Amino acid sequence: MIEIRFHGRGGQGAVTASRLIAEAVAKEGKYAQAIPMYGTERRGAPVTAYVRIDDRPVRRRDLVHEPDIVIVIDPILSKKPSVAAGIKSGGLLLLNYPKPPEEVEIGGDFMVSTVDATTIALETLGRPITNTAVLGAFSRVTGIAKLESLEEAILKRFPGEIGKRNVEALRRAYEEVHPPKPAKGPLRPGEEEPPHVTGYGVLKSVADWRVFRPVVDLEKCVSCRLCWIYCPETAISLVDEKPVIDYDKCKGCGICVHECPVKAIEFVREAV
Amino acid sequence: MERLTIKDIPLEEYTITPGSACQGCGPALAARLVFKALGNKVIRHGVPSCPDSVTATPRTFSVFESAGAALTGVSRALKILGRDDVMAVGFIGDGGTYDIGFQALSAAAERNENILWFCKNNEAYMNTGIQRSSATPLYAWTTTTQVGPRGRGKETPRKNLPFIIAAHHVPYVATASIAFPTDLIGKVLHAKKLKGFRYIDILCPCPTGWRFDPSRTIEVARLAVQTGMWALYEIIDGREFRLTYKPKKLKPVEEYLKIQGRFRHLTDREIEEIQRMVDENWERLLKLDEMGEFPL
Ligand SMILES: Cc1ncc(C[n+]2csc(CCOP(=O)(O)OP(=O)(O)O)c2C)c(N)n1
Ligand code: SF4
Ligand code: SF4
Ligand code: SF4
Repeated sequence: MIEIRFHGRGGQGAVTASRLIAEAVAKEGKYAQAIPMYGTERRGAPVTAYVRIDDRPVRRRDLVHEPDIVIVIDPILSKKPSVAAGIKSGGLLLLNYPKPPEEVEIGGDFMVSTVDATTIALETLGRPITNTAVLGAFSRVTGIAKLESLEEAILKRFPGEIGKRNVEALRRAYEEVHPPKPAKGPLRPGEEEPPHVTGYGVLKSVADWRVFRPVVDLEKCVSCRLCWIYCPETAISLVDEKPVIDYDKCKGCGICVHECPVKAIEFVREAV
Repeated sequence: MERLTIKDIPLEEYTITPGSACQGCGPALAARLVFKALGNKVIRHGVPSCPDSVTATPRTFSVFESAGAALTGVSRALKILGRDDVMAVGFIGDGGTYDIGFQALSAAAERNENILWFCKNNEAYMNTGIQRSSATPLYAWTTTTQVGPRGRGKETPRKNLPFIIAAHHVPYVATASIAFPTDLIGKVLHAKKLKGFRYIDILCPCPTGWRFDPSRTIEVARLAVQTGMWALYEIIDGREFRLTYKPKKLKPVEEYLKIQGRFRHLTDREIEEIQRMVDENWERLLKLDEMGEFPL
């Protein structure tokens, strides 16, 4: 039996990716189980999902604790060593990360492979929904699901133009993925739990929810206060009538960027 | 309602952020705006729902069904304590308002309890993963109103809860939108000064459940009003009716529907049907506005 754990953020499609893998391998005659981690998965908040694949019907019903493969579809979570918690010896860590495996900081007795799925998703889908791109990398590196079965599963779920663009993302990642290398980085998973649901209430910082960061051009700003009043997270305060953004509170929703009447706020991709 | 400009909106914040709602969450912004206007002399009552925004106020909590009764208790306890400076406030989803909490809500309204009830209306049960409520509009997709060979989304229009609450002869009923913060806050400031049962229904787009990019939350909320899908009005004492936003001409509903995934499946005929419904409703509201009367 092969066990997989996904890490992503609400809105990137980790749960859908787990189902697509299950559907694809089922088409190839295997048995599979996709498990979404039920919690308060909010768009932008960490999300976990699991897959089990076997040649026989899968009877286990618990969550996956010692995965053979961990797939991280979010570039910022890809920097957190805790995503590798519990990976089996000789297992695989597949990261959405813009650098080759040699530059990954996480280390252990497993392999690591990387693909820049966010760039691929932005260029094919126009949005940072990275799940289908990462699946292309998964297919190439593990051979567990064939590219064709994944394509079929994607087109069934997303008919029409959206499906076609997702297949393009899948194929591009299949070509562009960096093959696995031993994970030699200095950071170890340690004892922490892998990141998943953040729960209710007030959070310390949501800086790592962002794919894009709003940046105000104070010269262009006409002090209309609209960005300030529309920010759900009170991330914007007014200092001498000009907006100042608290980046620990900003989730990168883009409302302020979209609503500024003089386009004084730019949305800049966060560096990873 | 009180008329204000954006410069009159208080700078103080009463929400503690960042919260755990999604990026671009409409209800999270609604909470911020409502409590900005109310201040912190508030006991906030909640029932299960999405997290929206935490407020710096004492909180009470109950099951869905008893929010109206629990708020009655809070309000009467405050009266016994002689604390008429503190308000009993419900901030509750459309599932908790239109459906599950409706019986106790109606009872509290009929008794004219001294309560302010806000419905953070995202037109479905979102916390449990987008199930239809009786606030879900006609033909909207939800996970329980599927689109496929046997379904076209929700088969019936939403129920008109603000009118139903007004029919309880309560001092104040209003609709509001997060895209019109001066209108919303003007209504909250007015309601705050009254006594008795007050109800404000705030349309709060939900990017996750309505299927649009989180940067467009305000645009969607604004189009709902500009197309007449969500009219802004107030009803005083169940008698006086006033539209608070009255454009010369409404935008076509298509502009609102086309940017949301939950309406992506609509055919031209279905869009026309919604347009006809909205036009008829708008005519009716214009007449009420002209008469200035709410017919009971
Ligand atoms: C009596 C009862 N039924 C069902 C639930 C499960 N439940 C928790 S939150 C929720 C959704 C509430 O929807 P709504 O009031 O519209 O608020 P939203 O989640 O959309 O903010 C449901 C059904 C519950 N807690 N209690
Ligand atoms: S991107 Fe969203 S959360 Fe960040 S400052 Fe702008 S409106 Fe606020
Ligand atoms: S919306 Fe634009 S112009 Fe208005 S205060 Fe914000 S940055 Fe300045
Ligand atoms: S599902 Fe909708 S209402 Fe709930 S937190 Fe997310 S955006 Fe807000």
